[in-house]
Amino acid sequence: MAMYVLYESSSGYALLEVHGLDEIGQNTEAVRTSVSDLSRFGRVVQLTAFHPFESALDALNQVNAVSEGVMTDELRSFLELNLPKVKEGKKPKFSLGLAEPKLGSHIFEATKIPCQSNEFVLELLRGVRQHFDRFIKDLKPGDLEKSQLGLAHSYSRAKVKFNVNRVDNMVIQAIFLLDTLDKDINSFAMRVREWYSWHFPELVKIVNDNYLYARVSKMIDDKSKLTEDHIPMLTEVLGDEDKAKEVIEAGKASMGQDLSPLDLINVQTFAQRVMDLADYRKKLYDYLVTKMSDIAPNLAALIGEMVGARLISHAGSLTNLAKCPSSTLQILGAEKALFRALKTRGNTPKYGLIFHSSFIGRASAKNKGRIARYLANKCSIASRIDCFADGATTAFGEKLREQVEERLEFYDKGVAPRKNVDVMKEVIENLQKQDEEGKEPVDASAKKSKKKKAKGEEEEEEVVAMEEDKSEKKKKKEKRKMETAEENEKSEKKKTKKSKPGGEEETDDGHSTKKKKKKSKTAE
Amino acid sequence: MRPPKTGRGGGGSGGGRGLARGGGVSSTRGRGRGRESGRGRGPGRVKSRESESGGIKGGSKVLVTPHRHAGVFVAKSKADALVTKNLVPGEIIYNEKRIFVQNEDRSTVEYRVWNPHRSKLADAITTGVDNIWIKPGVKVLYLGASSGYTVSHVSDIVGPEGCVYAVEHSDICGKVLMNMAEKRTNVIPIIEDARDPAKYRMLVGMVDVIFSDVAQPDQAKILSLNASYFLKSGGHFMISIKANSIDSTIAAETVYQMEVEKLQMEELRPTEILHLDSCEEKHACVFGGYRLPRKQKADNAV
Repeated sequence: MAMYVLYESSSGYALLEVHGLDEIGQNTEAVRTSVSDLSRFGRVVQLTAFHPFESALDALNQVNAVSEGVMTDELRSFLELNLPKVKEGKKPKFSLGLAEPKLGSHIFEATKIPCQSNEFVLELLRGVRQHFDRFIKDLKPGDLEKSQLGLAHSYSRAKVKFNVNRVDNMVIQAIFLLDTLDKDINSFAMRVREWYSWHFPELVKIVNDNYLYARVSKMIDDKSKLTEDHIPMLTEVLGDEDKAKEVIEAGKASMGQDLSPLDLINVQTFAQRVMDLADYRKKLYDYLVTKMSDIAPNLAALIGEMVGARLISHAGSLTNLAKCPSSTLQILGAEKALFRALKTRGNTPKYGLIFHSSFIGRASAKNKGRIARYLANKCSIASRIDCFADGATTAFGEKLREQVEERLEFYDKGVAPRKNVDVMKEVIENLQKQDEEGKEPVDASAKKSKKKKAKGEEEEEEVVAMEEDKSEKKKKKEKRKMETAEENEKSEKKKTKKSKPGGEEETDDGHSTKKKKKKSKTAE
Repeated sequence: MRPPKTGRGGGGSGGGRGLARGGGVSSTRGRGRGRESGRGRGPGRVKSRESESGGIKGGSKVLVTPHRHAGVFVAKSKADALVTKNLVPGEIIYNEKRIFVQNEDRSTVEYRVWNPHRSKLADAITTGVDNIWIKPGVKVLYLGASSGYTVSHVSDIVGPEGCVYAVEHSDICGKVLMNMAEKRTNVIPIIEDARDPAKYRMLVGMVDVIFSDVAQPDQAKILSLNASYFLKSGGHFMISIKANSIDSTIAAETVYQMEVEKLQMEELRPTEILHLDSCEEKHACVFGGYRLPRKQKADNAV
């Protein structure tokens, strides 16, 4: 009776035939001794067919199916193609050895190929695994490892729900590029001014802006050709008719030397370059803003995209920023001053990169430090929400911003700000209201509205339960609990009303499962 | 708005080193900046976060010599530290210290300090194990990779010729592990439960060594199942046993014996049992071989 063995590798499926069954019998010990020696093993097991995966995506599908013990179409067709046909009614004269019995039962159901996965098969597979790269002639030594690496990465990414859009590396690179661009544009613009001033020195004093200068110089070209007809065009560019007239006047009485047409062309090309770079910089800034709203919307809503992006890039990644304590966030960017002060026992700095947000400027000198600390605390909360919560919403960021404003007002006028507990409660309620409104049109039924009423009462209980817990626990855990509490509330829509202690238990349960971080949004 | 130039204001981002970044290559002997200024600096010193390197100061003279185990080195100065050669120069995983040594031809070699308090394998080495079986060029299956601290050092040791299959079940640690694996191409991250080696059989080839640090009550079974799939005959294993994970009611010694017996039933023959008492309580490490050929005392794995 012929015996085949299926071996799944990261580069493809392999089917091998086992010879010399008579001499080995079904003796695992004998197989073991033969495994260690390739030449002997090569006689026992021979490659019948090999089906490489077509693409990385195909490979990922196959590995997912194999890990579940499910047979894919590709596997099925591979087997049916290469194994002898199973005739109806007759007992097949061969069997297929597999690593996993579950897969075997699937295959048997679909194709009537008898499968077995006993110790004997496992020993054979060990041998195949050991010598696999020798079996497949086309594979070069490093190929198998590379395919394993790539496949493992994509498999693992799927497992941890790696979201390409929420990669913070883009923001870090963008902000570096933005800084570099600014420097470069400035130095190029200076160069344009100097160069063109050989021809038309007075223009520098009239047009101060770099970008406008480049445009004007491109438009004017040769100053001797300037006439009154150019006024409308110049006005359009400069925005001011008087300035345009000044330019014309200056052009007539200019002390600059003439330039040959070739020279002028060169200056013009350069000026064009500067303008292009400035346009690109604008586009890059817009890109940065969009990315920030994708990966860290709350941080962006609180302190602005630029400062937020700088914080993230300084910390190294959004996760690093979320991990560091808020006192570190407060002085991120002022390390030199900080360590100098620590060494010489002086005063440590009050703010680092945070300084560039608008709030610090608005506080009076006495309160700058206090606002800086308060703002850093809120930024920590915002960055942690952004890093660890699923779903991108700016609700928290906006409320946090309001809180900072209130605090500023308090320092100004003595108006007592709201408690954090209340503000957060508002946010949660708003978020739930939004979700309900969003889902109502999808699933409108009388039952649902009744349940909602019951749910409304539950909500209050949950929220009250949350409040009590909040006073004990830290803010970071609060956020997580709120999410799980949200989760619990949503799942409770379908359940019956729970009594208060039950409700508290739920939140505690949610607490213990928070490590999983899989926000299972029940499909409603 | 320009910040004030005095010391109290927020400066620009130049000058001081960032949080997690190591910055560029510093001068010959270790770190020049006194950020982790060690003892004896007097007023204004910063307390180093943990005794990461066991006393290696920045700026002191360090001599790096190879350890008895291939691929591991010892950095000698006022206090000794275990180091490995960084596979990806410039990258650190967890704020560990780095030591830079200049060669005769003026190129610098970068070593990363390996903390025994954080890594059981380092603990075993400093306690004095005979043979860890992990050396340059071997393939290692690492069960219970967690965030990848020890995995990174193992990957340093095995070098670009070897590879480390790092299996970790948890998502959070998995993310960190995957980030680390993106920089190191000899680490293959597998986010899967180690109890089901069948699930990831497509991703793993035959390995020379299995390292298991899973802290589960059925860890002996996990190890033997993985060994039957992936460990070559004559290969070796190391398993770290936390007595409280198996059974917290009985004495630690009994637990270790029980685990050893379970392993022996599955053809995993222990050759060394090491009690790790210097850094952790009630922990032991068992080293051994799999399907070792009888009638031969094989010192090195074939």
